[in-house]
Amino acid sequence: MQSEVNGIFVTAHELKAPLSLMRQLALSLDPNDPAETREYQARMVSVSERALRQVSDLSKVARLEEGLFTMEPVAVRGVCDEVASELQYLFRFNSKKLHVKYSNRHKLVIANRDLLHSVVYNFCVNAIKYSNSSTASTLTVSDHKSDNIQSVRIVIRDFGPSLPMDIYQKLAKNQLDAPTGISFRPDSSGLGLYIATKFSRFMNANVGAIRHRDGTSFFVELPVSNQGTLFA
Amino acid sequence: MSHRSPLIFVIDDDELFADCLVSAIKKGNKSVKIETFKNAIDAMNAMGDPLPSLIFLDILLPGPDGFTFLNEITSYIDTAKIPIVLVTSLELPETDLSIYNIQGILNKERMKPSEVTDYVKRYTN
Repeated sequence: MQSEVNGIFVTAHELKAPLSLMRQLALSLDPNDPAETREYQARMVSVSERALRQVSDLSKVARLEEGLFTMEPVAVRGVCDEVASELQYLFRFNSKKLHVKYSNRHKLVIANRDLLHSVVYNFCVNAIKYSNSSTASTLTVSDHKSDNIQSVRIVIRDFGPSLPMDIYQKLAKNQLDAPTGISFRPDSSGLGLYIATKFSRFMNANVGAIRHRDGTSFFVELPVSNQGTLFA
Repeated sequence: MSHRSPLIFVIDDDELFADCLVSAIKKGNKSVKIETFKNAIDAMNAMGDPLPSLIFLDILLPGPDGFTFLNEITSYIDTAKIPIVLVTSLELPETDLSIYNIQGILNKERMKPSEVTDYVKRYTN
């Protein structure tokens, strides 16, 4: 019960931030400065889209068990390209970059396209938020083999403060069951991480993080789909 | 004697919000020089000549938080008198912070850009 209450509290805190920002931007609009107004409008659209996505992801978390999300062969590159393109403005505005690298031979994975999109999106937003200014985060897609199971690994690496050990351990032990305040990464409830973890587990994907001295890599590994390999 | 533009520090790890503050500051005084920092350590290291005329400080920061910054800044005789305005989404009782040179607390959920502008006019003109 206590962890549920904490979860609601930290989620509310996370959702409050974009609303406060939207309010500031709206109050800052100056009709005498059309160029600034256009810039603020673009920011408001970007911030509200991100908040809407977060709310929509939360509602998906609540409905995961209802069988609404079917698993199918998904082209990884299409999803990653889509996310990179959606977040282009946000990366640029924050003076950051995202480099996308593909070295995967297997093109299709077994996943739900919608949920996979959210996983990659949340990890990338995390990279925007926590990487240091003027650094380039990387989104790398590569083949991976573990216990004779072929999978495709998507890694999002940021250059900023390292992931706190307690969150890392929860992730490693599969115990990240509620949004958890990330002490070394303030202004964050870890909501994106929680959502990405939930969705990844639903898709039977392996999810985790690697702590670096100068940042964190979040990864998700999805089983390869052999459908359509004749066309690859 | 050379005339220097007043300097204002904005310390907030939310770059979009910091940008809103910068915009409001410029409306209060066009000649002001503004430096933004995402963490307390960089801001502390940037303290020099001239000292900032005003600091807008967020509390939840990566690494040392806003309170650590306040403790640090009040430990030195030259920086202890710098007026500080807290800009935070935390609910803080103003009286408990009287030992620091806090001139006001702006709540991120309720503040208006004009309040930032007013502080700038008060401390830089």
